[in-house]
Amino acid sequence: MTLHLVSKSPFSSSALRDCLQSFAEGDALLLIEDGVYALRHDALQTLQNSAVYCLEADAAARGQRELAAIVSGIKMIDDAGWVKLCTQHNPIVSWFR
Amino acid sequence: MPRSAGHFTIWPAMKFSLAVYSAPHSTQSAASALRFAKALLSEGHEIYRIFFYCDGIQNGNSIAAPPQDEADLTGEWQDLQRQYNLDLVICIAAAQRRGVLSQREAERQEKLSANLAEGFELAGLGQLTDAVANSERLVTFGG
Repeated sequence: MTLHLVSKSPFSSSALRDCLQSFAEGDALLLIEDGVYALRHDALQTLQNSAVYCLEADAAARGQRELAAIVSGIKMIDDAGWVKLCTQHNPIVSWFR
Repeated sequence: MPRSAGHFTIWPAMKFSLAVYSAPHSTQSAASALRFAKALLSEGHEIYRIFFYCDGIQNGNSIAAPPQDEADLTGEWQDLQRQYNLDLVICIAAAQRRGVLSQREAERQEKLSANLAEGFELAGLGQLTDAVANSERLVTFGG
């Protein structure tokens, strides 16, 4: 099962859209850096039954932490949680274009 | 697989490699790589190699002088390298193209000075292949 890392905003990059095209059942998505703006994007709704995580520090740095708390199904994680996700998934694919 | 030790579960340490494609000052991704590397080490995992490619080679540029109130990623990589004896490898072709040279390369290319930061090494792309082959996980930082 793949862990997808999306680090660009879906409002300025196709990273999230490209990721979703290859997203398979059992995969997980972690939003980091500007990728946390996906919390405000409709595309995320297609993943309602999948594991979606958000890096808390990057969400907080962009004023999105409160939003992440109310978007259903999003789990906030810290750096240690990120490491743990990486141990539980293989491969880890980064989407940044 | 995890093993259970009473009331908590122990996850075995894993061997990671990182690929860094971005310069320190361009986007957040080099800083994210550093943060992730620190988290890996503090969680008890091993870093087999960190490979700097494309603009990521700027992480090993010793003459970059960021303002004092901004992060000095090169210095932080060096601190981490000394502390954990990390293998920080810079792609030699990417570095030559962008002007990051070791003493030996500077002499060979007849350039005025060398600027490869201490703690980093120049090597070929084969070292990334080797890292993939010898690590359980590869995490890429780009953009």
